[in-house]
Amino acid sequence: MDEELAIKVEHVSKKYCKSIRRSMGYGIKDITRNIFGLSSHSEKLRRDEFWAVNDVSFEVKKGEILGIIGPNGSGKTTLLKLINGIFWPDKGKITVKGKVGALIEVGAGFHPMLTGRQNVYINGAILGMSKKEIDEKFDSIIKFADIGEFIDVPVKYYSSGMFVRLGFAVAVHRNPDILLVDEVLAVGDLEFHNKCMQKMGEITQNGTTVLLVSHDITTVQRICNKCLFLNNGKLVSNSYTNEVVNEYYIWVSNSTNKHKEELIPKNDVGAKLSELIICDTYGNEKDRFETGEKVSIKLKFLVAKPIINPILHISLNGDTYHGYNTRDDNIQIDIVDNNTEIILEVDFLGLSTGIYHICVALWDETYIYPYYWDWDVGQIEILSPIIPLGRFIFKHNWKILHKDEN
Amino acid sequence: MTETLTVYEPDNALKRGYLNIFREIGRDLKNNRWLTWQLFKRDFFAAYKQSFIGILWAFIVPLISIGTFVILQQSGIFNYGSIAVAYPIYAVLGMAFWSLFSTGLIGCSNSLVAAGPTIIKINFSKKSLVIASIGQSLVSFLIQFIVLCILFVVYGVVPNIAILLVIPLMIPIVLLTLGLGFLVSILNGIMRDAGNLISVLITFLMFLTPVLYEIPNEGILWQISRINPVYYLISAPRELILSGTMSNWIGFMISGILSVVIFIVCLMIFHLSETRVTERI
Repeated sequence: MDEELAIKVEHVSKKYCKSIRRSMGYGIKDITRNIFGLSSHSEKLRRDEFWAVNDVSFEVKKGEILGIIGPNGSGKTTLLKLINGIFWPDKGKITVKGKVGALIEVGAGFHPMLTGRQNVYINGAILGMSKKEIDEKFDSIIKFADIGEFIDVPVKYYSSGMFVRLGFAVAVHRNPDILLVDEVLAVGDLEFHNKCMQKMGEITQNGTTVLLVSHDITTVQRICNKCLFLNNGKLVSNSYTNEVVNEYYIWVSNSTNKHKEELIPKNDVGAKLSELIICDTYGNEKDRFETGEKVSIKLKFLVAKPIINPILHISLNGDTYHGYNTRDDNIQIDIVDNNTEIILEVDFLGLSTGIYHICVALWDETYIYPYYWDWDVGQIEILSPIIPLGRFIFKHNWKILHKDEN
Repeated sequence: MTETLTVYEPDNALKRGYLNIFREIGRDLKNNRWLTWQLFKRDFFAAYKQSFIGILWAFIVPLISIGTFVILQQSGIFNYGSIAVAYPIYAVLGMAFWSLFSTGLIGCSNSLVAAGPTIIKINFSKKSLVIASIGQSLVSFLIQFIVLCILFVVYGVVPNIAILLVIPLMIPIVLLTLGLGFLVSILNGIMRDAGNLISVLITFLMFLTPVLYEIPNEGILWQISRINPVYYLISAPRELILSGTMSNWIGFMISGILSVVIFIVCLMIFHLSETRVTERI
C-alpha cells in the first residue's frame, strides 16, 4: 500500500439479512463453510438479504480528517464498523495501517456497580490499552473527565453527562493512529462539545487520521478537509468538504421537495416561487458580485389563495450559512398574493469568495408550516479581490498612531 | 515506528491457512492476558456488590443441594450405593468438580450474548470474554474445596496425599469445559436455542452422571456412564483423593486426551467464527 495512505477501501460491500430466522440459518451455514475452508460465497445476495454498503471505494491519507455524511440508514456506521474490524466485508478489500481506535460507544464495558476509577481500567483494557499505559495516563484522564470526587462512586449514580465525559476521557487518551468517530459528539453539552473539538484538534496535530461520521454539518465543515456522501449504501460523492456538503444540501432539498407535495394539502394553500431577481446597486441583474457590494434580492410568488402574515426566510448557503428572516427583523408581511413583490437589500454583503446557494422559505406565522421551501432556488457567486481570514468581511479600516504625533 | 498493516477481506480466516491460525490464536491469547483478568475482576466484583451476603452465596448453594440429597437418603428414597467415607465429603468433592463443569459451561455459553451490545461496537478479543467467564466457576470451585477441607477436619478423615495434586487433576475437566464453552458461545450468539438447550441438558446430565452416587454395576445407567467422559473426569480424581487409588485410570486418560482434543478443535472453530457472530448476535 502506498506509503502515505492510512486507509484503503476497495470495492467494499456488506450485506445484512432482514429476517431473524433466515439470519440464524445463514449464520450457521457461513460458519460451517468457513471452518472447513470453503468460501461462503458472500458476493451473492440470498433471500431477505440486502446491501447495506454497496461497492464503496476511497483512500484516506495519513493525517487527513475525513467526514462521512448521509441520511440515516445510508451505511455510514456499517462502513465504520468494517474499517474497525468488527466484521469482514462481503466483497472487496480494506487495508488499514496502524492502530485503530473508535469513539463509537462511549463507556464500553462500564459496569454500573463499579466505581469510576475501576471502570477506567476496564474500559481502557477493552479499548486496547495496556496496564502501564493506563497507569501513566490515569491522572490526565481524571482531569479531562472533570467529575471530581465522583470518581470513587459507583457509575450507576452518574448523570448521563458524567458518564459520557468519563468514557470519552478514556477513549481520547488511547492515541490510536486512526480514530473513528461516530456521532458520539451529539451527546453532551456545549462545553463538552468544545472540549471534544479541542482535543480532536490536538490529536490531529500529531498526525492521527480521523474519520468522522456526523449529522452535524457545521462540525463537519469546521474540521474536515475532505468528505464522503453516502446514500443507500452507495458512495455518491468523495471530494473537498465544501463541494460535498453542497451536494448534500441539494440532495436534501430535492427529497424534501419530493415530500413537500404530500405536506401541502390538496386544496393548495401552497405557494410557488414565480420570480427571483438579484440586482446590484445600479439595478443591473447579475449573479456575480464582489465582496462588500450592495445586493438586492427580489421575490414574487404564485399562490392559490392569498397568504396572511407569512414569514419569509432568505439565506445563502455555501461553506458558511448566512441569512435573514422577516420575523427576527420585526417586519410584518400582511399578505402575499400573486402581485406582491418582496425585496431584501443588503448594503454590504461581506461574504468571502464562494458559490452560495440561495435558500428561500415562506413560512406561516407560527414558523412551523412551510408554504414554500427550497434549498437551492438560485446561485450567487462572490469573489473577494483579496483572500480574507475567515469567511466574512465587515466594513473596516485601520488607524496607526505614533507617540510623538497627535 | 513500525505500523501494523491489517487487511480485511471476505472469509478472512481462510486466506491465511490452518497452521497460521495457531500462531494467531497464540498471539491473541498472549496479548490479551491483562484484558482477560480485568473482565474477570469486573464480573466477579460486580456479582457480589449489591448483595448483603455477597460471597457467602458461593458456600451456601452447594451445601443446600447436598443437604437435600442427604435428607432424601435418610428417608430411604435415594440410595447412593456403598460409599466408604462420610457422604457429605463424597458429595462435596463430586459436586465441586461437577459444578466446575456445569456452571463453567453455562457461563461461557452466555458470555458473548451478555456482551453483545459492546462487541458490535468495539473490536476486542472475544476469547477473553469466554475465558474470563470461566473464572467465576474456578472461584466457586476454590470455595467448595475450602468447604471440603473443613469437612475433612469435622469428620476426622485424613485425605490421601494426592489431594495436593488437585490442580493438575482438574486441568482435564477445565479444558473440556472451556472447549465446549467456546463452541456453545458461538452457537448461542447466533441461536439462543443453544444456550437454552445446554441449560436443560446440564440439569439432566447431573442426575445421569454418578456425581452424587456410586456408579451401579449393571444396567442402562452403567452403560451410559462407561462412555461418559465427565464421569471419569470427576470420579477418578475423587477416588484418588479419598483412597489413593484410581481404578479407572484408563478411562481417565482417554477422557483427558479427549478433553485436550476438544479444547484445541473448539478453540480453532471459535477463532474462525468470532467475526461471524458479531454480524448476527
